[in-house]
Amino acid sequence: MTAPAIPGLDPVIHAQARLRVVSSLSALGEGDRLAFPRLQELLDMTAGNLSTHLRKLEEAGYVQVEKTHQGRTPATFVALTRQGRAAFEQYTHNLRALLDGAP
Amino acid sequence: METDEEPLSPEASLRLIDAQRERTHRQLDLDPTIFLVPWGLAWLIGYGLFFLRYGPDDRVLVSMPGWLPLATLLALLVAAGAYSGVAGYKAYRGVAGESAERGAMYGWSWGLAFAGFGILSSRFEAHLPEAQFGLLMGSLPVLITAILYMSGGAVWRDRHQFGFGVWLSVINGVGLLAGPGWHSLVVSVLGGGGMLASAAYLRARRR
Repeated sequence: MTAPAIPGLDPVIHAQARLRVVSSLSALGEGDRLAFPRLQELLDMTAGNLSTHLRKLEEAGYVQVEKTHQGRTPATFVALTRQGRAAFEQYTHNLRALLDGAP
Repeated sequence: METDEEPLSPEASLRLIDAQRERTHRQLDLDPTIFLVPWGLAWLIGYGLFFLRYGPDDRVLVSMPGWLPLATLLALLVAAGAYSGVAGYKAYRGVAGESAERGAMYGWSWGLAFAGFGILSSRFEAHLPEAQFGLLMGSLPVLITAILYMSGGAVWRDRHQFGFGVWLSVINGVGLLAGPGWHSLVVSVLGGGGMLASAAYLRARRR
């Protein structure tokens, strides 16, 4: 289904939708979490679609999804893990290296 | 669906990252101009009225009821405070963790400092000569704002914010030394006008 991955680029991040999720979360301060609906707003994704991508990122250990309660209403907060931030930095580093090394 | 999309070229990936990060920053970061404009207007108008009604050497430059300048200044400060509170709350909506905690504590500092100012003003009104009371009422909000801008600069490591607090401290001191009347003029023009000017500068730089 997916086209062959470019060698050296993390396939978990190198998919448009997940790249956008990780980019958004990387713009938060370290130690910050973002509510699911707000993240959805920033990405213009459906809830189902975002959930699917978050699950993949969570399985890779790149994001932490935390379900809590604010009063009586359930709330879901999403944050990049330290591992996720490192993977994102490595990914952008590799992208730049690919571009600089391109003939 | 997006799950089956083609992987992007490195160039397109970098553009996507930049665009998405910028969008996130634009929505989550507080735009300083939304604070500077209401506060600048409150000061320019409020202290402007003080100067016109309670000019240097007890001169009345424009006749108006004696209570009007303070009432206007307080009403405008309350409005500006409420506006900032709502704007801050909106920007931090859905954000939890360290930034939200920092922002909330900082917001409470403003609220409590100005509540303290309100109580203090009600305790001194009857005991001070009018000009001295006016000077006290006029300089305290500037002092509080200056301190909070400087501490905001320290919290967010923002030199512009810190520098603006320093500027307010300096003009407040100069105005106090110059005395009643002059203080209002200095704060109105250099403080309120200064806020509006820096808002215009920041807006222009963003474009």
